[in-house]
Amino acid sequence: MGISLWAVARPVRVRLVAALVFQFVAAVASVVPLIAAVELAAAILGARDSRHGAYAVVVAVAGLAVRVAAGAAATALAHHADGDLQWGLRRDLARRLGQLPLGWLTGQGAGRVKKAVIDDVGALHHAVAHASLDLVTAATAPLVAGCYLLTTSPELAAALALPLAAGLWLHRRATSLAAARMPQFQTATAQLNAATVEFVHGIAVVKTFGTVGQAPQAFRRAADGYAAFVRDWARQVTRPAAVAEAVLSAPVLLLVVLTAGTALLAAGRVDGVELMAFALLGPGLTAPLLALGYGREEIRAARCAAQQLAELHAQPPMPVSASAPPPPGRAPAVELRGVSFSYDGLRDALDGIDLELAPGALTALVGRSGSGKSTLAALVARFHDPDAGQVLVDGYDVRELPSAELYRRVGFVLQQTHLLRATVRDNIRLARPDADDAAVVAAARAAAIHDRITALPAGYDTTLGEGVSLSGGEAQRIGIARVLLADPPILVLDEATAHIDPDAETAVQHAVGALVGGRTVLVVAHRLRTVTRADQIVVLADGRIAERGRHADLLVADGPYAALWRAQHPAGRLAIGAAR
Amino acid sequence: MIRRLLAALPRADRRRLRVGVALTVISALAQGAAYALAVPVLRELLAGRPAAAWAPLGWLAGAAAAYALAHVAATVYGRRTGYALARTLLHRMGNQVSGLPLGWFTPRRSGELAQLATRDIMTIMSAPGHLLGPVLTAFVTPAAVAVVLCLLDWRLGVAAVAVAPVIVASYWWTGAVVRRTERAAAAAAAESAARVVEFATVLPALRAAGRSDDGLASLEVALSEQRAAGRAMARRALPAVAGFAVAVQAALTAVLVVATVLGLGGRLDAGTALAALVLAARCTEPMLVAAQLGAAVRMAGNALDRVAALLATPALPAPRRPQRIHGDDIVFTDVRMIFGETRALDGVSFTIPAGGRTALVGPSGAGKSTVAALIARFHDPDAGTVRIGGADLREVPTPELMARLSLVFQDVYLFEGTLWDNIAVGRPDAEAPAVRAAAADARVDEIARRLPQGFDTPVGPGGALLSGGERQRVSLARALLADSPIVVLDEATAALDAENEAAVTAAVERFTAGRTVVVIAHRLETIRNADQILFLDAGRIVERGAHDALLAAGGRYAGFCAQLAEAAGWQLRAVTADPAAPAPQ
Repeated sequence: MGISLWAVARPVRVRLVAALVFQFVAAVASVVPLIAAVELAAAILGARDSRHGAYAVVVAVAGLAVRVAAGAAATALAHHADGDLQWGLRRDLARRLGQLPLGWLTGQGAGRVKKAVIDDVGALHHAVAHASLDLVTAATAPLVAGCYLLTTSPELAAALALPLAAGLWLHRRATSLAAARMPQFQTATAQLNAATVEFVHGIAVVKTFGTVGQAPQAFRRAADGYAAFVRDWARQVTRPAAVAEAVLSAPVLLLVVLTAGTALLAAGRVDGVELMAFALLGPGLTAPLLALGYGREEIRAARCAAQQLAELHAQPPMPVSASAPPPPGRAPAVELRGVSFSYDGLRDALDGIDLELAPGALTALVGRSGSGKSTLAALVARFHDPDAGQVLVDGYDVRELPSAELYRRVGFVLQQTHLLRATVRDNIRLARPDADDAAVVAAARAAAIHDRITALPAGYDTTLGEGVSLSGGEAQRIGIARVLLADPPILVLDEATAHIDPDAETAVQHAVGALVGGRTVLVVAHRLRTVTRADQIVVLADGRIAERGRHADLLVADGPYAALWRAQHPAGRLAIGAAR
Repeated sequence: MIRRLLAALPRADRRRLRVGVALTVISALAQGAAYALAVPVLRELLAGRPAAAWAPLGWLAGAAAAYALAHVAATVYGRRTGYALARTLLHRMGNQVSGLPLGWFTPRRSGELAQLATRDIMTIMSAPGHLLGPVLTAFVTPAAVAVVLCLLDWRLGVAAVAVAPVIVASYWWTGAVVRRTERAAAAAAAESAARVVEFATVLPALRAAGRSDDGLASLEVALSEQRAAGRAMARRALPAVAGFAVAVQAALTAVLVVATVLGLGGRLDAGTALAALVLAARCTEPMLVAAQLGAAVRMAGNALDRVAALLATPALPAPRRPQRIHGDDIVFTDVRMIFGETRALDGVSFTIPAGGRTALVGPSGAGKSTVAALIARFHDPDAGTVRIGGADLREVPTPELMARLSLVFQDVYLFEGTLWDNIAVGRPDAEAPAVRAAAADARVDEIARRLPQGFDTPVGPGGALLSGGERQRVSLARALLADSPIVVLDEATAALDAENEAAVTAAVERFTAGRTVVVIAHRLETIRNADQILFLDAGRIVERGAHDALLAAGGRYAGFCAQLAEAAGWQLRAVTADPAAPAPQ
């Protein structure tokens, strides 16, 4: 099962071990009816009396019953354990996600999270609920039967050992051949997958540019190349494996048993009953081993998944303080002291930032793409922790504020608002579940979304995401209503929010306007025109503050800000504003 | 299963699959024969005539050899058939997908298709190689053995055959129970997957609201329900699976008891009775193995269903009498388009003259994107016609149409190649300087400078490594390179890329001069410069004309313009800022 699988299975080990014990009993019991049949043969051949035969039938039936019962118990227990393991792992992972830095979550995306929590955990199922049991059977049943046969007739057992040894040797060789070529197989599979994905995603492009037939050709080549590779694989790997299976198969083992039995019987070295023991138990010796092969792929997948889960588990959670320290004296609403931050540990996204946001002031972060303005805003909302320096909110280091305390002070509205699959009302009062209807409606009105909500089938009680979906701009206004109701004194805002849905631009702008009033605002600004009235404009370049001041002063200074302004407002286009 | 596999295959592969099945059946029959031949061998041996056993033993050796050869051949052949099957299915999917309308290729569909072409095909591929053999053997070998038992002694035959209907019935019952409970389990799994995705996406908002725990609560409910569904499945399916095992074992027991009674009573010679025991023991194992493979068989069946569903998706019909496009004018005649229950276009007629600039404006959901999509033949209209240069698009071969059109959309299709490749696809025979020039005009060179490997940086699946604005710039560079006479443009993401907006707008201006341009417009400047404005609302054209005339009319368009002007002049106002300070010009 592999070390990491066993480690992952820790919470359900007791049940899993119990299941394995039951399976062990079932595997031993599966040999009992055959041994009983041998005793029956002894009775029929006259070596034992007929009463013994009747006993043998009873034992055989009892053995079958125990086998079915213990097997069912093992399967039930293993599935039960598997269900609890998956449930527990998923719950722990989800709880853990709740403690990871928000930046990690937004970077990795919901897809990665879903893969870990649902797919990777699900991939453990086969290993836990099936393969472990199959392994016990494969180890137990042949061993019990083999010991019985060895004590019955060492000479016949020796004869039977020949094809077994040959078959197992062939099997090992085929397995090592396959293992040696496995990287090539995986490369070929990966190439085909890449070509397929490429084809699927590229087909639309190719169609759009009228070169129909090209991507399909590349794709066909990949498919043909793969087929050629696996043809060789079938010859070089599948054939030796199939030969090994054939040597280990029941008809061949039966042939060996009967041939050796005939010779030994003729020589008077075995009797009929001993021969019957080998004819009954010998051919089936390898069946549990051969059955193992079917699950090999799933076990590999489970190992991979366990590895991935372990990696996710190794993600350091964001340290959270238990209680707030005593309130400091008068302090800026937000302060950054010598803050540096790097995403990859190689290149600083922010480098030695010192910045103060006075209570109630509007501060705009501007700069080219990649200058670090979004990163700076993300640090204030504690999506990441800085590598060096401090981010202080109301005088507290954000690392020392409990999460709830921090977000009571700092709210954020980013480019995308995600809604819960819950009612509109619950979406709006997310931060204040006890808010009354009047407060909810007031927030919705201020966010310019009240009319749209009342037009929904069930108004504020409409469940979002179930048949009813909102446009980007509408979702954003719900998100803004949410923040309005939460009423945090400090707001981190992405200005692009106001332009993301061109069909609802004005409405969203009204909502953002309502949100900004009276708060300390840090805005990531893309369009300089929208923030010319800011109290403070901070120009970032390569993770450093290049310039700061008010719009008019910065224009006069004719530095980086003036350059940015000119790039966005070429002479000809400035006139448009004047014309309005 | 075999029938469904056959249905998915062209004739040549059908023959191959049939041969594979035949080889498997031969190996199963040879196995049955080997077991049957054990009967005369055992009879002679147990009667104390070992010398007489050599002859049937020779036959047994032959049967065992035949089995071994047929098994190896069937395995190799089955594996190869599987690979050939994968290749055939991939080719068929390739052809099918090539014929699908562009409108079919949503990002979600592309993701599903990639899954289908990789994971599902692999699953199907393994069916002939891994599943067919054990499943067929599980039925053929016991049947052969039952026949042999009948021939040996009718009472033994009755004992074996009497249980057969129970085995078959319990096999089907097991399948039915598992399928039914699996559906409930799958629904519960889908719900918890959806809740995980929801939790992960809304976690920032939840944490900001101090409600991470509550969000977790709904996820935990879903997870618990999934566990309950899994338990219910085990509870209902396990008795069925155990029942099948009991039925199989009952057959063994029946033969055992009958052979014992007959053998002990002397009504059957000892050799035959004991041979019957050996045969019965040999039959149970393969059936129990087959029962364990049930899940794999069902998975392969589901994968086949999905591939079959894709292959059954109606493609755009190929033109019966291909027409050529003569000219660049676009004419919509009474076009209707319905998506689900929404009338996206409800009887729309207009002409976009060649060389002119037409702006599509209107509120969200008015039908602007549908008009653009129909021009690019992402779909065919439900009623009415779309003509370009006099030719009905349904009669125009796709390459002919696409050679005339450039699309600059927000939802552009980038493929998982390098930045350079994604531009060069606009004109595959273009020289490097031309690609570079197009990239510079669309400001893609600025993106390349920021990327680790410049133009040779892979853009990730669907261009995931680029922002929306960046993707649009790449699609603009493509269009610039393609140099087609008709340009369909969506301005939607311009706002996200304010930094380059001026430069990109200038490039678009230069590029579109003298071409036929259809633009889904959001900027007043673009609209004002259009020769023709089509104002859409609820799938109809409610106003049309030039900017000044429409503005003077004071209708819907005039109101729309006022709103745009307000939005463009929007500013964040600081509370502490001096309200008397003039807005900068």
